[in-house]
Amino acid sequence: MLQRSLRMLCLLLVASLLAVTPFVQAQAQVVVDFYYPTAVDGPITQTIQEYATKFEAMHPNIKINPVYTGSYTQTRDTIRTELAAQDVIVDVAVMLATDLTSFVEEETIVPAQQFIDRMENGEAFVANFFEAFLANCRDEEGTIWSVPFQRSTPILYYNADLFRAEGVEVPRNVNELIEVAQKLHTPERAGLLMPVAGGFPIWLYQSFAAGFGQPLIEADPAKVYFNSDASLAAVEFLTKLGMPTSEGGFGVGPMGGSVWGDTPTAFTSGQAAMIYHTTGSLTNILRNATFEVGVAFLPSGLPNENGEGYAAPTGGGNLYIFAATEPEVQEAAWLWVEFLASDEVQSDWGARTGYVAATRGAWEIDPLKTLVEEKPQYLVARNQLAHAYKEFDSYRSIDVQLIINNALSSIISGNVPLSQAKATLDAAQAQIDSLLAEYR
Amino acid sequence: MTRRKWRSYLVTAVTFVLAMIWLMPLVFSVLMSLRPATEPINVGNIFFGSTLTLDNYHNAWQVAPWGRHYLNSLIFVFGTLIVQLVTITMAGYAFARLRFWGRDVLLGVLLLQLMIPTGVLLVQNFATVRTLGLFDTHWALMMPYWGSAFGVLMMRQTFRAVPFELEEAARSDGANWWQLIRHVYVPLSLPAYISFAIVSISSHWNEFLWPFIVTRSEDVRPLTAGLNKLFFTTEVGAQYGQLLAGTLIVIAPLVVLFVFFQRQFIESFASSGLK
Amino acid sequence: MPKTAFQRVFPYLLVLPTFVFVALFTLYPVTRTVTDSLYKPARRAADPSVFVFLENYADLFDSTHYLGARFVQILGNTFAFTLATVVFSVPLAFLFALLLNRQLRGTGFLRFAIFYPALLPLIGAASIWAFFYSDTIGLFNTILRGFGLTGVNWLGDPNVVLYAIVLLNIWKQSSYCMIFYLAGLQNIPRDIYEAAQLDGAGWFYQLRYMTVPLLRRTTLFVVLITVTYSFQTVEQLQVLNQGNPADRGNLLLYFIFQSIGERRNWGYVNAMTVVLVLLLLAFTLTNFLLFERRDDDKA
Repeated sequence: MLQRSLRMLCLLLVASLLAVTPFVQAQAQVVVDFYYPTAVDGPITQTIQEYATKFEAMHPNIKINPVYTGSYTQTRDTIRTELAAQDVIVDVAVMLATDLTSFVEEETIVPAQQFIDRMENGEAFVANFFEAFLANCRDEEGTIWSVPFQRSTPILYYNADLFRAEGVEVPRNVNELIEVAQKLHTPERAGLLMPVAGGFPIWLYQSFAAGFGQPLIEADPAKVYFNSDASLAAVEFLTKLGMPTSEGGFGVGPMGGSVWGDTPTAFTSGQAAMIYHTTGSLTNILRNATFEVGVAFLPSGLPNENGEGYAAPTGGGNLYIFAATEPEVQEAAWLWVEFLASDEVQSDWGARTGYVAATRGAWEIDPLKTLVEEKPQYLVARNQLAHAYKEFDSYRSIDVQLIINNALSSIISGNVPLSQAKATLDAAQAQIDSLLAEYR
Repeated sequence: MTRRKWRSYLVTAVTFVLAMIWLMPLVFSVLMSLRPATEPINVGNIFFGSTLTLDNYHNAWQVAPWGRHYLNSLIFVFGTLIVQLVTITMAGYAFARLRFWGRDVLLGVLLLQLMIPTGVLLVQNFATVRTLGLFDTHWALMMPYWGSAFGVLMMRQTFRAVPFELEEAARSDGANWWQLIRHVYVPLSLPAYISFAIVSISSHWNEFLWPFIVTRSEDVRPLTAGLNKLFFTTEVGAQYGQLLAGTLIVIAPLVVLFVFFQRQFIESFASSGLK
Repeated sequence: MPKTAFQRVFPYLLVLPTFVFVALFTLYPVTRTVTDSLYKPARRAADPSVFVFLENYADLFDSTHYLGARFVQILGNTFAFTLATVVFSVPLAFLFALLLNRQLRGTGFLRFAIFYPALLPLIGAASIWAFFYSDTIGLFNTILRGFGLTGVNWLGDPNVVLYAIVLLNIWKQSSYCMIFYLAGLQNIPRDIYEAAQLDGAGWFYQLRYMTVPLLRRTTLFVVLITVTYSFQTVEQLQVLNQGNPADRGNLLLYFIFQSIGERRNWGYVNAMTVVLVLLLLAFTLTNFLLFERRDDDKA
């Protein structure tokens, strides 16, 4: 009996195998393979497909083939595999700003500039983007290589009801941040959750490095400032957040920081008074919180004369067009990029996800316009751009990032005592310098 | 006798306790998946939320085309297995019973393959699959596994343990090679086949990286790709309820199958005399 | 009797299908891996790679090198992880099989309770444990806090993280291995135990001198697959801790994937792969020889 059913099963499977045999289809259309990662909630696949359908209706001879490629890292590794095999399938992809320099240097991508220059309103197109986002799209000479799509920035989320009840003001600099966090910290509720425990402490760390006076990078992608005094102060600050006061720390959260994905959930369920997190989580947080959610600029810096110390890196993904793609597909890919960067799509995408719509125009039209009126929290991220710094990107950025993340994680997790923090940063800087020596 | 009885109770108790510990992840997955998304567990209330809800299942269901992924996974694991069974039987017999020039060298090559994680050969194998024009098809997933050193070596072991007299007897009865395999070797080696099938199925069932690299469309991608997607929805706020609901959707059919067939499953070993 | 032409070709025909695939998907890429491990990619992608012979390998064991500084630690983790998994899962699997091999009411349920982890794809299993281990909203810490204890930072504490990952691996692997032991047990003829009991052999004696030796082959098999799986652990790390903190929770194959994203690392990635393969090969050879010896005993 069992044998017979097994045999049937085999037959069925063979039949289904044959049924899915690839078949070749004649195509007169230009097909654009579009790789996108996602780190946001909701039916992203459906949303992207919606955009593709809308775009195809406008351009009947172009077909968009959207491919969900996992996380940003998985997307990059997928594309790297294609590059290593010298067989590039992807035509246009959403990737991190940190990928720019390496890809430019390798001539893996084509500059967006060449398409922009041919536009009738090219200058207006560029001017429509927020400058803070464009900083990670340009090379040293000012050529634009990629176009902002799903851009974000970290912001401070706080429990506004709790703040009101306890009579505390929203912190404007690191000193106030600690003061408030310590005041609101209880055994059941963290004063401040800083999600630096996972794989990428570098992002939030950058806001403190900049806030303490020396950003991790400046214009030159061959120079990284990891063992500066500001950097050391930033690392010490992050480490002390989780250290008990008895050991000289601030004692306002778990040792080693919190886990990225758990942080918003802990916040919305009342287990944290304040958190640092991406604007990409805003929609999700507003939906799940049972209290009034306050959003503010990152108080990551020392106070200036007005008592303000704001600093934040930008983040998120840009659109890259690949060099291995045939020219006519590149043209089609550019139309798609233009479409995704249009005010209409940016407005819709920003409203759905919480990503910061990258164009000024997007904020003037619906759905974002109405949303901002109803929920002013969405505006904070945009206004914070005035205090934003270019996100980390350098030559050999993947290796440099790994070195930095590893060093940060060593110190913050307590694997290396704070007394050795300086030595750890110096050792990491030496490794970074040896990697970057040939680019100077 | 009483001592024996006492020991029997003890053993039963130990079994029960261990089983409960092992079961805990499943129990809490179920509980968590039925909690409202806005109520993560907290001290004093780790079992139930304010109400029971299927919202998490509803949301998880929308993350990926699970039915399609399921079918793809089945095609992948069984399509791999069926061909493997043929190739390992053939090669296993040759290495077990035949003498030929270069046999030991070939055996050495197989040993080399045995332990190489296919994951680390991603780039070259990706290129090969592209060259063969099989990119983004079910064939691309399965093909690298069709030559299985593990299986061949296992069948070689097993076939060598079959008394040679049986082969001689069958041959003198006029059996050809195919009949010999069909009526002598295969029936005597069923347990080895079953063991191999379990290893093969479970390793491909778990596999993520290779399928992810050689496929792009959801029409071909297996379950693990859907689970991966589900996991990354936690980036903006871990919805463990939704994540676990999705995980449960994935194992539910297998659990049902196991519950119904576990007796046959276990007995298929027993009756066939695995060593 | 001289062989006919067909008889001479026949063995090759039998092994041909296997070797076509082995050659295509293993031999060729492995050869490429070994040769590529002797080169360093040039700064410009268009330029040819530079032959450096064993320099990539030397760098991996140089503690001032940016990968070498991490490689040795990760290699050590991988050994510890594999050893711990084997040492705990294999005896546990054996114990489970012993316990479940008895005819009890509810055996089916108990079997299910212990076996289901094996049915879960690794990513799914790791997702469940991610919920257990979550620092702020996880099950374990919530329970601990319920008892008035401070939580453990399961995946964030450098001294804990490897244990946390091993625990998940043991949970899954022992379930899987149990099936092979159960099958082995069911095939030991009942009468040899009966005979032993008549001779007055105790429970422990039977276990130690009959069951364990009779299942020696199963044990070798189970150890082999457990070691292979453990050496190739990737998915759990991807879900749980991405190798953090500070590489204390990192393992070799995951590290290789972390490094793959940078074109200039290509030589190192291949060198690390070769090291991984050599380690596994050494182990397999030992295991294989043990299998073989057993065969010869029989002959």
